[in-house]
Amino acid sequence: MHMRKLLFMLVALLCHSLLLLAQTRTVSGTVTDDRGNPLPNVSVQVRGSNQGTVSGPDGTFTLSVPANARILVFSSVGRTAQELTIGTNTSFNVSLQPADRSLDEVVVVGYGTQRRRDVTGNIATIKGGEIANKPVQSFEQALGGRAAGVQITIPSGVLNQPPVIRVRGTNSISLSSYPLVVIDGVPTFTGDVSATNAASNVLASINPNDIESIDIAKDAAATAIYGSRAANGVVFVTTKKGKSGRARVTLDSWVGFSNVQRLPELLDAFQYTDYKNEALRNAGTFSATNQFRLTNGPDGQPINTNWYDYVYRQGVQHSNTLSVSGASDATSYYFSGGFTNQQGIIKRNDFKRLSLLANLDHRVGKVLSVGGKVQYSNEDNLAATSSGALGDAFSTAGLGRVPLVTAPNISPYNNDGSYNYSGALIGVMNNLQGQVGFNNPVIQLDQNRSNAVNQRILTNAYVQLKPFEWMTLRSAYGIDNIWTDNEIYWSPISGEGFASNGLALSQLGKNKSTVWTNTAEFRNTFAEKHYASLLLGVEEQKTDGSGYGLQRTSVNDPAFTNIQGGWSTPNNAGLFIGESYLYSEFARAQYTYNNKYFLSGNLRRDGASQLGANSKYGTFWGASLGWEITRENFWQGAGLDRIFSSFRLRGSYGKVGNIGGLGNFASLSTFGSGLYGGNGTVAFNQAGNDDLTWETSKKLDIGVNFGFLNDRITGEVTYYRNNIDGLLLFVPQPPSAGLPTNIPQNIGAMYNKGVEIDLGAQVINREKFSWNTNFNISFNKNEVTALAPGITNVIGTTGGLESPSITVVGEPIASLFVTRTNGVDPATGRRIFINKAGREVYFQHIAPAGQPRWAYADGSVAPAVSSADAVVHSNTQPKFYGGFDNTFRYGNFELSTLFTFQGGNYIYFGTNAGLRDQRFWNNSTDVLRRWQKAGDQTDVPKAIFGDNISNGSSFPLDMNVFKGDFIKLRTLTLAYSLPSSLVSKARLSSLRFYVNGNNLLIFTDYPGPDPEVSSNGNGTTNFGIDRNTVANQRTITFGLNVGL
Amino acid sequence: MKKSFLYIASAAALLQLTACEKDRLNPIPTNSIAEASAFDSRLRIEGQVRAIYASIKNSGMYGGRYQIFNDIRGGDFLNERTNVVTGFDVWNYTPSNSSTNSVQNHWSRAYYVINLANVFLDGMASKGTPVVGEALSKNFQGEARLLRAMSYYSLLQLYARPYWDGNGSKPGVPLRLKGNTGSGDYALARATVGEVYNQILDDLNFAEQNLPLNYSSAVLNTTRAHRNTAIALKTRVLLSMRRYADVITEANKIVSAAAPFRAETGVPHALEPAFASLFGVASTTNENILSMPFSSAEAPGTQNQLGYYYGPSAFNGGNGEYSLNPAGILGNADWKATDARRALTTVVGSKTWLAKYADKSGLFVDFAPVIRYAEVLLNLSEALARVNGLDQRAVDLLNAVRRRSDPTTTFAPASADALINLILTERRIELLGEGLAGTDLTRLGLALPAKPGTTAVEPNSQQYIWPISSTELLLNPLMEDN
Repeated sequence: MHMRKLLFMLVALLCHSLLLLAQTRTVSGTVTDDRGNPLPNVSVQVRGSNQGTVSGPDGTFTLSVPANARILVFSSVGRTAQELTIGTNTSFNVSLQPADRSLDEVVVVGYGTQRRRDVTGNIATIKGGEIANKPVQSFEQALGGRAAGVQITIPSGVLNQPPVIRVRGTNSISLSSYPLVVIDGVPTFTGDVSATNAASNVLASINPNDIESIDIAKDAAATAIYGSRAANGVVFVTTKKGKSGRARVTLDSWVGFSNVQRLPELLDAFQYTDYKNEALRNAGTFSATNQFRLTNGPDGQPINTNWYDYVYRQGVQHSNTLSVSGASDATSYYFSGGFTNQQGIIKRNDFKRLSLLANLDHRVGKVLSVGGKVQYSNEDNLAATSSGALGDAFSTAGLGRVPLVTAPNISPYNNDGSYNYSGALIGVMNNLQGQVGFNNPVIQLDQNRSNAVNQRILTNAYVQLKPFEWMTLRSAYGIDNIWTDNEIYWSPISGEGFASNGLALSQLGKNKSTVWTNTAEFRNTFAEKHYASLLLGVEEQKTDGSGYGLQRTSVNDPAFTNIQGGWSTPNNAGLFIGESYLYSEFARAQYTYNNKYFLSGNLRRDGASQLGANSKYGTFWGASLGWEITRENFWQGAGLDRIFSSFRLRGSYGKVGNIGGLGNFASLSTFGSGLYGGNGTVAFNQAGNDDLTWETSKKLDIGVNFGFLNDRITGEVTYYRNNIDGLLLFVPQPPSAGLPTNIPQNIGAMYNKGVEIDLGAQVINREKFSWNTNFNISFNKNEVTALAPGITNVIGTTGGLESPSITVVGEPIASLFVTRTNGVDPATGRRIFINKAGREVYFQHIAPAGQPRWAYADGSVAPAVSSADAVVHSNTQPKFYGGFDNTFRYGNFELSTLFTFQGGNYIYFGTNAGLRDQRFWNNSTDVLRRWQKAGDQTDVPKAIFGDNISNGSSFPLDMNVFKGDFIKLRTLTLAYSLPSSLVSKARLSSLRFYVNGNNLLIFTDYPGPDPEVSSNGNGTTNFGIDRNTVANQRTITFGLNVGL
Repeated sequence: MKKSFLYIASAAALLQLTACEKDRLNPIPTNSIAEASAFDSRLRIEGQVRAIYASIKNSGMYGGRYQIFNDIRGGDFLNERTNVVTGFDVWNYTPSNSSTNSVQNHWSRAYYVINLANVFLDGMASKGTPVVGEALSKNFQGEARLLRAMSYYSLLQLYARPYWDGNGSKPGVPLRLKGNTGSGDYALARATVGEVYNQILDDLNFAEQNLPLNYSSAVLNTTRAHRNTAIALKTRVLLSMRRYADVITEANKIVSAAAPFRAETGVPHALEPAFASLFGVASTTNENILSMPFSSAEAPGTQNQLGYYYGPSAFNGGNGEYSLNPAGILGNADWKATDARRALTTVVGSKTWLAKYADKSGLFVDFAPVIRYAEVLLNLSEALARVNGLDQRAVDLLNAVRRRSDPTTTFAPASADALINLILTERRIELLGEGLAGTDLTRLGLALPAKPGTTAVEPNSQQYIWPISSTELLLNPLMEDN
């Protein structure tokens, strides 16, 4: 039977083309907009064929059509397509209405799509075009400022570090606050999969240019269908599919240059040498054998090294994506290949991605459809060594820190050209000091590697049956498989690898997730006005992870630089194994009356393996209501419909959960095995909890959407409140209890509440000139309302060395926790601290005989001030943030700008403590205004060598806390599209050139390089810290988009 | 045909509903052992004993840092790196409540060891003893209690006033003797110094009575506690309490009446002829009563290795964190250049460095010494001198230690005070870099000495002992700071 059908089709096709060759005729006409202005660039297509053209600048078109052509399709971006029957007409004058911009769009919701009109949950949609062609590694990096309620922080200038994403604030303390990311229906891995100093955000395997749209679900109604994983919001990523019409080929290419910006100004060699010697004198330890000295370089002049020059560079980046797509009645396809190579601002920090994507959908007859996708990607995340940006803020190899610390009066090279080092450290040259720097960064940059290379296959396939118009049965199976090959090499010469006489480590991390989803959907319209739908489904997701590796030290010969070479030790590295399983049943029901009243409900029951034996299952739900008032008679009677093209009230409430980031076996008490004296050990290494369960978010969302002037101005105002109960806390017990781990307990509570405002307008919409603008601002208030009984706070640490963050009841999560100071005593140059009791305590690192180091103003001995005197100081959560997006079109030129902003938050600028440290560390030029004599009014105390207390190195101080408000010109794009007349001569369908700037301007009072950083990445309780962080790069790119 | 497709799909969906859901929701970890079965076999029970050792050997404790902290609280080392991670604040007497790498970590680690021992002792009482039998159970419990005692002792030395101050009446540390495995109310006030010392002695007495006399190999005799280990540790503990008569009683159990001094029962402890043979990788002589073993598979970990701290890069690839202070014991005129112990120092550049930990593999896997027989002899010598005055056996013991490394010297002090001073000096030479310097100052009520860039700390000063871990203060409402 099939054979016959195929044969028939083939014959029909042949006949068709024969006919096509045989007979054609010509049709022509003019396309105008709703006000009668001619519309250029409108696609005019014969339905079911690849015959087509576009309208010219005057809106006219001429087209040869086959004699049997029946329908002409007129379509243009932003306008509602029209189909006209050809019949015997040869002339067609068509007016295309602007598309109802928001309401007829399709929105991706869990397990399907809905018309925007029918959605009563809160979902923000970002078009693929807004994030394509940007100098980013992963699409989420480009989401900043694009959607209300979605805050993106790029944590550092290190390539491919996962951005901090917060949907309506930080919604967890111990677990992840990262939203669930669903790519083409398959929940995917998120986070950094690298085990090396190169960051590797798994989402970077998606080529941003392959993305059709991103829908971010924020409230309970929109997220509840993902039940236990929905509390942080759900990000739906939809990749491109073929669109009906002939094959479209596109090429998107850009090349760019990235630079570091706003680095702190440091002492030069002369200033450094003088200043440090003054500090030694003040400490009473300056002597013939203990001092700093200049060294002459090969040119006979004193060495004066700017270490930034050795660590930073101008990065060259480029990206190319080639795609072919199209669709016939039965089959749609999208193929793309992408390659990008991006150099970071730190030397040897590179990102390369090769990606291939095939999306294929095919209708087999009337009932059966099949389809799927295959994506392969290979990402090389390369680094020489630590940057200090991945939670290792105090790494002595950290390339963000080393140029700040290392003495400027030494060189990376000896005068004979060899490396300057002494053991693990950089050599002191003429300085009569034990140490004037940490590692020699040039040796590390020349010799070491710390790479993570991913191979990822992301694939799914589905079978869909539609036996009746109202019934869809679908079974989908998805596989997400990531293998990460981590490789570290430390040269034995000096630096990190010195102590172990070299090190080579290779580790393979394997993560695999399979998802099988079966759904049945019923939808129908009854008696014209009643629309109802019901979705039922079951799903299971199995996730497996394992890793193994080899770490070899003590190299036999320096020529060996990989684990395969000759080394003396064969130790294991990076062993892990784990699995998790999620089993779910879910349902969604929806009812709409006359497009006026909207009702929907979602329900999901999840069973998760990570949870305690007593609490494996949970039930989650969300319900919403919508009311389109413009469709009420009284509204129309009052004439309000002439003002409002739409006005809709909506509200939702529900309960969802969070288990993101919970360990596979977190609920179990276990004994682990190690070695003692070569024999096996069994040690109580994890304290579990049989009652461990989800964090529960109860989300309320009330909003209004409105449009004026036929939706030329649209807006959305939403109030939300998210009460989180059962926050999982790894409840710290007194260390003296001796427990191996803090026990996870569902015990805390917190809320986020706020208002989101999103306004959009087509300010000007003329043929020659248009101006579209969109402004969004979100206000959020976070407050922790309960921690565990007996637990007054959760301390957040930075880099394992410093504790400037605290989470306490009654304050926002991750408040700053610092000890107060009150300037510098003008009489003596001592730092004035304020102790817990509120008394001023004067500190001098080296006290003259008879004087205490710590003294009250009257000179009496005071107890040492420390972190025990710290106070809850200020919040790190922005009170407001948002974006302001403008697109101006003039003829074929387009200028778009995106400003992002945030404010009301504070940042602990820990780097500043280091920049004023009185050990050998180099200092910022701030220290030039130090106290030197009685009467000096300054904020920098008397320099006393060895003092690491009055600057804030020893424990965090309030003087290193600064406001984090900023406005950034995040992107600026100027584009020129070649006129279609020229383009078509070149047998192209479109050609566009652009220049794009990223991070061009920052308006801020923040003294550090960039207020938008996060030393602790996505950490929840240690957010708002800038400690030796590499600032974000500033990038300028030049690109072109070609359509064939 | 379409219908059959539908049925198949529906059937598959139904199958999915039921298939292996239960098992998959309760996965069993394949790389750890469940709590319930931790006492099921001798292998696991002995594995737990070893785990207590492995934990006390860990970085924060007797595997390196405990020794280092006590060494650098004395006056014999100079800090070269001004790095608080490697003890700069400990060296200059300024650690704060929140000093992660000293005050906080040692506190946590010591109590982790204590709790492992307590969990083990509880488990043996409820489950384990029948599995291994009464005799072996007693052996293992003896080891657990000895290690618990060592942990408590380390805490008292750093976080509590010395015993002499108020005769043990000052605040000690919380005394915990029950295993903690789940969440609970763990608020507990500090016991007195005396109460904690009494528990330490109780544990060591139990250990003495229940530990085996020896093991099957020299390595085990050095890395697992046996009866003489308990006795040796008691001499140290009692010396810290200034219970000199009891030091004599205990030491006499393992020190013969006359030279050559040796242990006559149990492991035959005695001074080794060659001083250098006591150190390095896998040194397990009869003089090494207890050491913490390391190997390439059990390396000490970054910034925790004795060799990394004391050796300069040119010597053993170390980081040269601490050199020997020329004004400290290194400058002592009576420490002759020909003394074999001088051979375990090395000059690199303008500085002299301790060379006891000389492993050059890059891994710093020298065994970390916990207690040596030479210390027992000096403990006994000092106790005899303090009880009996100018005691000939005390002089003989001192000379035994001195003349092993310096045959050209024979001490003949003229007074008890002179004898005691010689003994104390000998301790600094003999035990340099083995973690005794700090406790030798505090047990005697001596000031922590001034060093370049830092001033002396008098015994009545707040800085004389460490502050309490700020985490403990936050989480244990009954805890009080120093």
